[in-house]
Amino acid sequence: MAKSAADWNAAPKFPATHYVDSRIYTDRSIFDEEMEKLFKPSWIIGCHESEIPNAFDYRLFTHPSGVPLILVRGDDMKVRSFYNICPHRGNTILYDPAGNAKRMTCIFHQWSFDARGNCIDISRAEQGYQDRFCKEDAGLREVKAETGFGGFVWVNLDDASGSLKEFIGPAMDILAPYMVEPMEVFHYNRAIVDTNYKLWHDTNSEFYHDFVHYFNRITGMMQPGYYDRKYTAFPNGHATVGSMQIQYDKYEGSKERAVGWPGLAPGGWYMVDLFPGMTYNLRTSVLRIDTAIPLGPTKVAIEFRGLGLKSDTPQQRAQRIFDHNTIWGPFGRNLHEDLLAVHGQGRAMRERTGSRWVIQGREENSTIHDEVGMRHFYAEWSRRMARPAYDPFRENRPEPARAAA
Amino acid sequence: MEQRQQIEELVYRSCLALDDRDFKGFLALCDPGFRYKVSAYSPEIRKEMVWLDHDRAGMETLFTQLPRHNSDHSPLTRHATVYTVTIDGPQAEVVSALQVFRTSLDGGATELYGVARLIDTVKLDGGSPKLASRVVRMETRQLGFGTHIPF
Repeated sequence: MAKSAADWNAAPKFPATHYVDSRIYTDRSIFDEEMEKLFKPSWIIGCHESEIPNAFDYRLFTHPSGVPLILVRGDDMKVRSFYNICPHRGNTILYDPAGNAKRMTCIFHQWSFDARGNCIDISRAEQGYQDRFCKEDAGLREVKAETGFGGFVWVNLDDASGSLKEFIGPAMDILAPYMVEPMEVFHYNRAIVDTNYKLWHDTNSEFYHDFVHYFNRITGMMQPGYYDRKYTAFPNGHATVGSMQIQYDKYEGSKERAVGWPGLAPGGWYMVDLFPGMTYNLRTSVLRIDTAIPLGPTKVAIEFRGLGLKSDTPQQRAQRIFDHNTIWGPFGRNLHEDLLAVHGQGRAMRERTGSRWVIQGREENSTIHDEVGMRHFYAEWSRRMARPAYDPFRENRPEPARAAA
Repeated sequence: MEQRQQIEELVYRSCLALDDRDFKGFLALCDPGFRYKVSAYSPEIRKEMVWLDHDRAGMETLFTQLPRHNSDHSPLTRHATVYTVTIDGPQAEVVSALQVFRTSLDGGATELYGVARLIDTVKLDGGSPKLASRVVRMETRQLGFGTHIPF
């Protein structure tokens, strides 16, 4: 039965843990608060170690909170991270997204810095600053950086944060056996979509949306073992999805994947969703990493990386790239479908559209179409934001009858 | 018709066929040994990337399967300009500039969607020239919510 305005606006008939107020996807004040409370204190993937293999290699990364960062490998091969902001006049120091720079020199006034963040040269320093200011006073702002969990370089803007290991906890244990061999990035692209970053992470946190993917319906949903895949929730808002054997040959023109992954069963597929917006997606022959970079309440840049093994032969690498592109490349079958779906959500949830609630009410014993992954995310979101996702503006709705599943 | 003119028309006809989603028409312009590739260089990871790589059978499968998938239906319009044609015996290497525009179904606004270079190998040993290979060398690497339809 179609709903009246009152019915439409009334809270869904679920426990309050099983839906969210759709204004959390559009409200500017909530977005600004998320940057402070969720992103700045979290460990975020900046790049992979294979992107900066040599001393003085660097990679630029715009942190989700907006801070421009340099990730640079030092002469001691340690990766460090600094604001890409000259301490002199606030200019951008490095412009190209990647490169090799033994000296990082600001083009504006030629102040130079080394890969440890030291200022090593101020042009005409003595003439202008006499003994009042010197290069020892002009170091770069360093932020925490650690390499781990498959060779990714993680950054954290909060000087007081705990370690990366503490942040991840046991959430990556499910992938640990497959992260032993060194990996290498072979694909990078970025999609900017008019939608909220959480909607992308939601999509990665539930498989009920496999209905949008013809490929997944044919090779997964209609195959044995699909409904046995289970979600497991971990502290800090992380969650994992167990594996099954994907039947790639069921899709016309496709066949069993010829290249596998060390230790992973043929056709295997694990996922790890990391709070607040990153996903490891190990699907048979390729590891895909998504990093959501929110640009505003209704705009997100999503970084996509595809990785193979560093030890790949040219033939193995070509096969992995082919497998990646079939579903996940910029022209791949699944990626466009996922992006189109979250674009549609963004379009329907713009301010003043009348969108009101997002339901996350499926309970199927934590199996693949259960929406426990999203509920777990929003339990953590609510805790960190000190706002219930179902009532973010405290408009007198009751507390949930029970804790998030 | 001059050979160069025939080659240019082949490139333009291939764009018209894809614009019209006339995939059979597009494949009719291709040699049985046709190979199609989309590639790009990523300054971010400093690597060459392949985004799509199919032989003719792979392209046929792609075109057959697409209607079963959920896709954006905004028309794409290709504008190609043939820059160079280098004829070498039974084949020609053709380099063209390509711009792709996307027009929204609701309201009809058109935006520049992508720029690329087409590097075609054209077979000349039959009756009419055929595409033996096409490399779409992407300059644009950010495609929003994307598309299933090859450039």
